[in-house]
Amino acid sequence: MTGTANAQFRIGVDIGGTFTDATLVDSTTGQVTTSKVLTTSSDPATGFIQSVQKLLDLDDTVRPDAIEHVVHATTVATNAIIEGKTAKTAFVTTEGFRDMLEIARQIRPSLYDLQFEKPPPLVPRQLCFEVPERLDAKGKVVTPLDEKALAEVVERIAESGVEAVAVCLLHSYRNPDHEQRIGKAIAARLPNIIISLSSDVVPEFREYLRASTTVINSAVAPIVSTYLASITEKLHAADITSELLVMQSSGGVYPAKAASDNPVFMVESGPAAGAVAAASLGTALGFPNVISFDMGGTTAKASLIRNGQPNITKDYSVGGAAQSGTGAFGGASGYPIRTPVVDLVEIGAGGGSIAWVDSGGALRVGPHSAGADPGPVCYGLGGEEPTITDANLVLGRLDPTYFAGGEMSLDLAAAQEAIRNHCAEPLGLTTEEAAHGIIEIANTAMVNALRLVSVQRGHDPRDFLLVAFGGAGPAHAVRLAEQAGIPRVLIPLGPGTASALGLLVTDMRMEGSSTLIVRSDEIELSQISSEFERLENAGREAHHVAASASGDPIFERAIEMRYWGQSFELSVPAPARDEIDQAWMNELTESFHDAHETAYGFRANDEPVELVNLRLTTVGKIARPQMRKLESTGTDASIASKGERPVYFAETPETKGIVQTVVYDRSKLPAGAVFNGPAIIEEPDATAVIQPSWTVTVDQFGNLSIEHNS
Amino acid sequence: MLSWLMSREHGTIVLTNNSDKKVASHRIDPIQFEVVRSALTQVAEEMAVALRRSAYSTNVKTRQDFSCAFFDRDGRPISQAFTQPVHLGSFVELIPTSVETYGAENLNPGDMLVVNNPFGGGSHLNDVTVFGPVHHDGKLVGYVASLAHHVDVGGGAPASIGPFQEIFQEGVIIPPVKLVKNGEMNEDVFKLLLAQIRSKRVTTGDFRAQVAANTVGARRLVDLVEKYGAEDFDKYVAAVVDYTDRRTRAEIANIPDGVYSKEGFLDYDGFTDQTVKLKVVITVEGETVFFDFDGCDPQRRAPVNSTKAMTFSACAYALRALMAPDMPVNTGFYRHVRMNAKPGTVVHAVHPAPVVGGWETQVRVNDMLFRAFAPGMPTKIASSTKAMMAQAGFGIIDRENGEYHCNYEALAGGYGARATSDGPDAVQQHGQNTENAPVEEVESHFPMRVSRLSLIEDSEGPGRFRGGLGMRRDYHFPDDPATFTVLSDRDIQGPQGIFGGMAGRKAYYILNPDHPNAEPSELTSKCVIELEPGDTVSFQTPGGGGYGSPIERDPQKVLKDVIGEKINRQRAKDFYGVVIDENSDSVNETETTKAREKLASSRTSN
Repeated sequence: MTGTANAQFRIGVDIGGTFTDATLVDSTTGQVTTSKVLTTSSDPATGFIQSVQKLLDLDDTVRPDAIEHVVHATTVATNAIIEGKTAKTAFVTTEGFRDMLEIARQIRPSLYDLQFEKPPPLVPRQLCFEVPERLDAKGKVVTPLDEKALAEVVERIAESGVEAVAVCLLHSYRNPDHEQRIGKAIAARLPNIIISLSSDVVPEFREYLRASTTVINSAVAPIVSTYLASITEKLHAADITSELLVMQSSGGVYPAKAASDNPVFMVESGPAAGAVAAASLGTALGFPNVISFDMGGTTAKASLIRNGQPNITKDYSVGGAAQSGTGAFGGASGYPIRTPVVDLVEIGAGGGSIAWVDSGGALRVGPHSAGADPGPVCYGLGGEEPTITDANLVLGRLDPTYFAGGEMSLDLAAAQEAIRNHCAEPLGLTTEEAAHGIIEIANTAMVNALRLVSVQRGHDPRDFLLVAFGGAGPAHAVRLAEQAGIPRVLIPLGPGTASALGLLVTDMRMEGSSTLIVRSDEIELSQISSEFERLENAGREAHHVAASASGDPIFERAIEMRYWGQSFELSVPAPARDEIDQAWMNELTESFHDAHETAYGFRANDEPVELVNLRLTTVGKIARPQMRKLESTGTDASIASKGERPVYFAETPETKGIVQTVVYDRSKLPAGAVFNGPAIIEEPDATAVIQPSWTVTVDQFGNLSIEHNS
Repeated sequence: MLSWLMSREHGTIVLTNNSDKKVASHRIDPIQFEVVRSALTQVAEEMAVALRRSAYSTNVKTRQDFSCAFFDRDGRPISQAFTQPVHLGSFVELIPTSVETYGAENLNPGDMLVVNNPFGGGSHLNDVTVFGPVHHDGKLVGYVASLAHHVDVGGGAPASIGPFQEIFQEGVIIPPVKLVKNGEMNEDVFKLLLAQIRSKRVTTGDFRAQVAANTVGARRLVDLVEKYGAEDFDKYVAAVVDYTDRRTRAEIANIPDGVYSKEGFLDYDGFTDQTVKLKVVITVEGETVFFDFDGCDPQRRAPVNSTKAMTFSACAYALRALMAPDMPVNTGFYRHVRMNAKPGTVVHAVHPAPVVGGWETQVRVNDMLFRAFAPGMPTKIASSTKAMMAQAGFGIIDRENGEYHCNYEALAGGYGARATSDGPDAVQQHGQNTENAPVEEVESHFPMRVSRLSLIEDSEGPGRFRGGLGMRRDYHFPDDPATFTVLSDRDIQGPQGIFGGMAGRKAYYILNPDHPNAEPSELTSKCVIELEPGDTVSFQTPGGGGYGSPIERDPQKVLKDVIGEKINRQRAKDFYGVVIDENSDSVNETETTKAREKLASSRTSN
């Protein structure tokens, strides 16, 4: 089925709000082909197969049976939640706790809003059922499971006509026996229904978070499995029988079958792809520490990559207002999930974000966006309020005649007028000053996002490479780096579709975990070894079933730890020692103290340390495609020059005002070219703005490597 | 109306305050202004993250019962992390008063003071503030402060809550003293403090987290000053305040001018049956608002006394909630919150009054303020919410190691209905937004069990839009004796409805609601009791008040509540006049019309 002898190509498909991007890589040459079709929101699978078909049509040497695998990033799970189109689901819990989902965390999502709403539970109250049973905090049975009452509940579930059931009993992370028996009883009566047990999905304490995760898993499972089955069918019809893999929120991929069973792991599938692409580029170029920055039409996303791996968090909510990144109530407007997610901060700043002057006379940007329709004023599609894109145009950073590679022309005069009327005149500024202000204010919000993922997590931005992509990323990245103190920026070739490439440079990853909650001075060391062995056996089996990854699985062990009494764990990699002995434990404890000091500024060497969860990742290595080298080389950038135009740069006192700036055609830049800012570099899907005091080097693969002159 | 003139001179903006000539003109760059404003908020947010993540007690780390803020060198609040508004209001007076008491000249770089004095700008003793000066190049930049509700500060009952008669029974009173000296913990002070406290281990962890948060905040501020230079930093801080001032006045001008007044009361004080009378007269005139509490009862030797700072917080919350959602909150806002609360009354307690029970007064004042504003702003306010702090605390001594465990939490209740929507079920209200303690977390820490956590059916205040359902949490102690405190209210009268809406169910505090060998008995809303192994306390909070007449409620909404078993069929008929067919689970239109006509005539004849 897979790994055929002539398997040579891989396809990645990323479905976004506006476009579906497909990327094909020839793993032997590194040749990349891309296609773009409009997203078909009513049935995304149609757009999916159209984009794949378009790829195959572009190159008739690509035979369907030479495709090694197809990787997919999708927002189908998130959209179902946001649009309230989840499957009809029942919830079963311990007697006395039927309202776990209704009560949630008992907080309001916004402090001063008297008209707030709590997010409606994904399971209505009439479908929440209680079963008499109870465990204590150590997992000991206090009240045995009442089989008779359970049988009645199963009958009522059968009558209700639900498509899925979520089961979350108190303390099941300690002892899954009651949940498993309930699962079996439901499966016996309703063999075709989807059943998610909290002890399987996320066996960790704090009941509401576990229940919410489990409910989301079951409520989106019918939708996700139907969707993935439809894609598989369409691929088969196109003679592509290789394995379909799905991007997880944590950046690894897993087989479509695993995704159908545990879809809660792919809720943030799309954003994860961008972070993985940035990580892969950084690693390939010798920069394991990267800040990934992806700016599109409506939002900008930042995430941090250390040692080639994106930072992962489990403190996350889906379907609510944008995350503030600080944890305080940000998630209360959505549904928490406790599965690993690439730790990204997303803010409402994109090319379409609207600039305005508030009642106190302050210039503001966002959170409202003109989106793609009507879009910025300069699109001439009816937009009346000035946006970030309009400001970039007014400052000369975008060429009105070369937008989208010249397919669309922009109305400079309209953009100028909108900024003058809405921003410049009320503030007594020139139009250029106001436009520049719009950019600087948007940049401030984005610099904060960069700080949130770096400084706030204890990392110095000066040690990182900023990888910038997305349609609007390259226009802002260098200035952001300047403000955040990041010395080096990398802009990949084709930044508009770079995120789809992330789908093709990731490994198969499957997560397993086991809850311990034991102090380091009270634990039986043999328990750690045996739990890890158990997790490895399960991982090996899953790997075997997934089968498409070649070679033996690699296991990554980590332990989530905290000081005894704290509530937030830090994940510490297990010491690389064969034997789990006292020396192993000492090394682990020392690593934890270090990690705590890095994160929160203090260590408590005398405090007992608690081991909360053992975490095992089973990795099936997938070979990386070669990066393709540019054909033309030479140090002279001038052959790519399209001439000069006036561009407004006011960031430093020396450069205040208009500067004649060279404009380069990126497709003509040879590998090895070096030139100084200020400069503008244009390609069909993005325009890069290089500030003065920065130097650009085109590397052998065509990436723009931009360094500060200091 | 904005009373600022903007003009442009040599590339900078000049803002001239038209109405108040004392304020000098500020030359500010509007772009830099917005940049600095965001960065200042970020300082407080980063402090909050550091505090929450490294704290030990469930009350701080999970329930988020803490706040962080930055103050300028005059002790005026400039930026804050949005956590608990009740704390933020109390900061306003606490920081400058404490600096003045201790002497600004006695504070050196690397020092931090600790303070909880209720009569020097504080609230109750559990809310302990740690704050310190931030210096740059030897010059004072301002202060960073973190306030955490400590689970225990000693006193007459575990968690330091109870029906006390003097402040001395409520725990250790901390005037401003140095907790950190030149970057090092002042061990003598800390030992003396800790000796008064039951939950020593978690308290130590929480104090350390507060110090860590302040350290993070100070570092970030110094970065900012370095980036912009001390002079510009000050200039932009002042501009942020002026901006907030302007917007606050514009927002107050949006409130219809007039005199709004209301009376309210607490059920009883915990020692006598007398209700506690509250009264407010609010005068709104142009850009000014004044809250006059003349007519509130004198303070009592009973747990119903709010400190001045607590009452101020209630006014600040009410005013801010009526403004635009993106209004910043700093000294430019707080300076417009003007009130008269006479010393020696239940809204401005003086030494040696007990204050921990004053939260009940504080939240009730908040509810009363919204009810006062109702005639002028009927679509902006909510009907009565649970409007009580609903504090539950307990202490257990660990049989194995003798450690004294304390737990504190404040429970949610029904929210008041609004002009166009139902009051949400089981949620925190007004200045209070603490999370519930996860059952699994509490049971991992203490030898007890939460035997039930549920909505209370049929507890909503009926209305065109109904109030939210109350919540029930049962605390069961299977094997150990425990000391339990209820410090709450509303067990005589539930939250009232508005504009024809009806009251929500009142609160109940029940000992052993379903004990195999004991009869249930009702506890008062303000008590400390000793529990035997096997006992259970059932804490049942009220439902929110309704908005508008229940017979005008959309019958489909009534049906939805009946299907969800939030209200029963009889209640649907008796209160809403909605008749639901037994078999089809649908509204019987004919019977409903009849039932509603009958209800309408009986209500007019009453």
